[in-house]
Amino acid sequence: MPAKGLLLSSSPHSFTPVSTPKIMLSVLIALIPASAYGVYLYGFSALALILVSMASAAAAEFVFRKLIKASTTVADFSALVTGLLLALTLPPSTPLWMGALGAAFAIIVAKEFFGGLGANPLNPALIGRAFLLMSFPASITTWTLPQGLVVGPDAISSLSLSQGAVDAVTAVTPLGLIKSGKTLADVGTYLGTHSDGELLKQLFLGFHSGSMGESSILLITLGGLFLLGIGVIQWIIPAAVLGSTFLFSWILGMNPLFSLFTGGIAFGAFFMATDYATRPLTPKGQVIFGIGIGLITAVIRKFGGFPEGVTYAILIMNIATPFLNKMRVKKYGFVPPVKPAKPSKEAAR
Amino acid sequence: MAVKTFKGGAHPPERKERSSALAIQRLREVKLVVVPVNQHFGAPLQPLVKVGDSVKRGQKIADAEGRMTVPVHAPIAGVVKKIEPRTQSNNSDGSCIIIEALPPPAEGQPVPAPEDLADFMPPLDPFACSKEEALARVRAAGIVGMGGAGFPAHVKLAPSKPIALVIANGAECEPFLTIDERSLIERADDVVEGVAITMKIVNAPEGVIAVEENKVHAVPLLEKAIAASPRTRAGMKIRVQLLKTKYPQGGEKMLITAITGKEVPSGGLPMDVGCVVQNIGTLLAMVEAFKEGKPLIERGLTISGGACTKPANVIAPIGTPVADIIAAGLAQVDEEKLGMVIYGGPMMGVAVPNYQIPVQKNTSGVLLLDTIESKHYDEETCIRCGRCMRACSCRLSPALLAVAVESGDYKEAEKIGLLDCIECGTCSFVCPSHRHLVQRFRVGKQILRALKQKEAQNAR
Repeated sequence: MPAKGLLLSSSPHSFTPVSTPKIMLSVLIALIPASAYGVYLYGFSALALILVSMASAAAAEFVFRKLIKASTTVADFSALVTGLLLALTLPPSTPLWMGALGAAFAIIVAKEFFGGLGANPLNPALIGRAFLLMSFPASITTWTLPQGLVVGPDAISSLSLSQGAVDAVTAVTPLGLIKSGKTLADVGTYLGTHSDGELLKQLFLGFHSGSMGESSILLITLGGLFLLGIGVIQWIIPAAVLGSTFLFSWILGMNPLFSLFTGGIAFGAFFMATDYATRPLTPKGQVIFGIGIGLITAVIRKFGGFPEGVTYAILIMNIATPFLNKMRVKKYGFVPPVKPAKPSKEAAR
Repeated sequence: MAVKTFKGGAHPPERKERSSALAIQRLREVKLVVVPVNQHFGAPLQPLVKVGDSVKRGQKIADAEGRMTVPVHAPIAGVVKKIEPRTQSNNSDGSCIIIEALPPPAEGQPVPAPEDLADFMPPLDPFACSKEEALARVRAAGIVGMGGAGFPAHVKLAPSKPIALVIANGAECEPFLTIDERSLIERADDVVEGVAITMKIVNAPEGVIAVEENKVHAVPLLEKAIAASPRTRAGMKIRVQLLKTKYPQGGEKMLITAITGKEVPSGGLPMDVGCVVQNIGTLLAMVEAFKEGKPLIERGLTISGGACTKPANVIAPIGTPVADIIAAGLAQVDEEKLGMVIYGGPMMGVAVPNYQIPVQKNTSGVLLLDTIESKHYDEETCIRCGRCMRACSCRLSPALLAVAVESGDYKEAEKIGLLDCIECGTCSFVCPSHRHLVQRFRVGKQILRALKQKEAQNAR
């Protein structure tokens, strides 16, 4: 008989090959097309922002967990995902130190303070972005034109954009133009397109100002479809977010396709709203979560002070997540509980 | 044929190719058997023999009064050597009757006649006898559910509600195990006969033999057996149903839902939706109990696993130490590579410290896993990915249930459905953080049951 110690453990004795690092790695891979296109549009500074943000996030997690004498978790790659997500939501011209600060804040305050991976109630990358937006509103709302996109002086003067604030270097995002009261046609003039169809196509392909994560809706969607295909994310949340954004934009009198093809809604739908820790686990909860994001985004874009509202829409719905988790599916073989008959007044006497 | 299934589940590596083509072999020579007194789900038994008693093959050696009891029989002819606690396949000690086989007759001595060694019941025609006689026979033959739970068959076959459908559970969704597959192939006639007997006893109009798609090659054999069966010729309705290969397709509830679309109500039994589900081994045991009067004293099982260099499907007497099956040469093990021994399948089976432990009525397989297969992982933090939520065949929201159990909130845990957990282990299998989910639920169920019992006592 075997003398050596055999392993004893409670079943099951078979395990999935899927692991947390593999999941995080697949998210990083899904973000490569959008990131690469961002670097193509904005050059070295964009690449530097991505790398600094990722490095800062990983370093912040490593150092913080060392300080509190917790296990090292950098190898699960989740901090790298947060760092990359943050970088992609910032203007490509964001100073590097600001990106580093935002990433460290995201990891330490939004994630590690709550217990680290899986325990954070709010999306760390979006908290990092919200923190930078509050602290350095000027920098985080200063956009540059992508390389190769030239906005002629004619367009600037015809749109009566002040030469000082918007020129060949500083730019304005499509949503920014709309917020300042311009029309869809004005956006077309600004981007040098000649019809609504052409404009939507250019927005979809991503040749306009904005953060890297809101540039090419095509590449972001491809990344999202990749994650859907390999089962890392499910379709409910992206579908609910995009569907409700379309619907509510339309109801509020905005061009629904323009709403989907501009700003961070696609990026948010595929990469932010699907963040495991901060989205509801139950299917019903996920539907409401997604619809809420679409609704709040549309309302902020229409009535809010900022041109874009995806960040706050997702963060607000993050807060609702624990509540939405109560909307569980009925268990197998659910039998509605028999309500105890109310004691009649006669019986009470 | 439409392939049916249930919602949820997972796809653990099947590993059945190691033994699915191997014909069932019978273990002939057994020197010693260690027969656990209690092998059923229900009230405990008392041994009916003492040390030194001679027993015949098939003689009743333990029994008790009461509905939820099933007697145990001597699997071999021999002498009772000891009655003492031994480690059983559930990895806990229990009273066992140890029987040593009679020595082979010495040179010149007459070989004892088989009838002197065996003590079987007279054959009984289940289609001619009364329901009560048939149930009495099933109990007297010591038949329990052989898929794992060991539920008394005579209780299952006496439902208090009308039965519309008898399901033969040929899903065999546990990885590695192939004994049911081999039985379906080699003994298709008996499987069909077993379904017919069950249908007769519970008065069901229809029978279904359910097999997963990975055993699709058994379907023509079964259909041939159905067509040739005197029972179907006499008008009994039996058919084959293909199911998707998915764990836990062979779970009683999942099987019923896949085939009928109905769900067994929470806290209820299959009979509440008009079904009776029978394991393939159980059907074969019933056929033998009626045809030959033979009690449940042997069973088929698969011996496999990465450290098993010669896998096998064998029929061995109940109580045979698995080490003796290997010593007889029917299977081989590489001791160097051995990392884990499991009685049952890798998803729900029990890890035990050695393979000296005997075969029991509910032992469907013994796995000798190699060190790579026995790799276990440290539990990491829950990343709330929701894989368990989608995989849970009972839709129990394992991620949320685990939080409730961990925080001791048993009220919430019960509401989510802790007591409905079938402990299939799919949640733990799919977890990328290797959370001990089903393990927590197992412990939690016991605590919750104890709490409820206490509450009921206090209420009195």
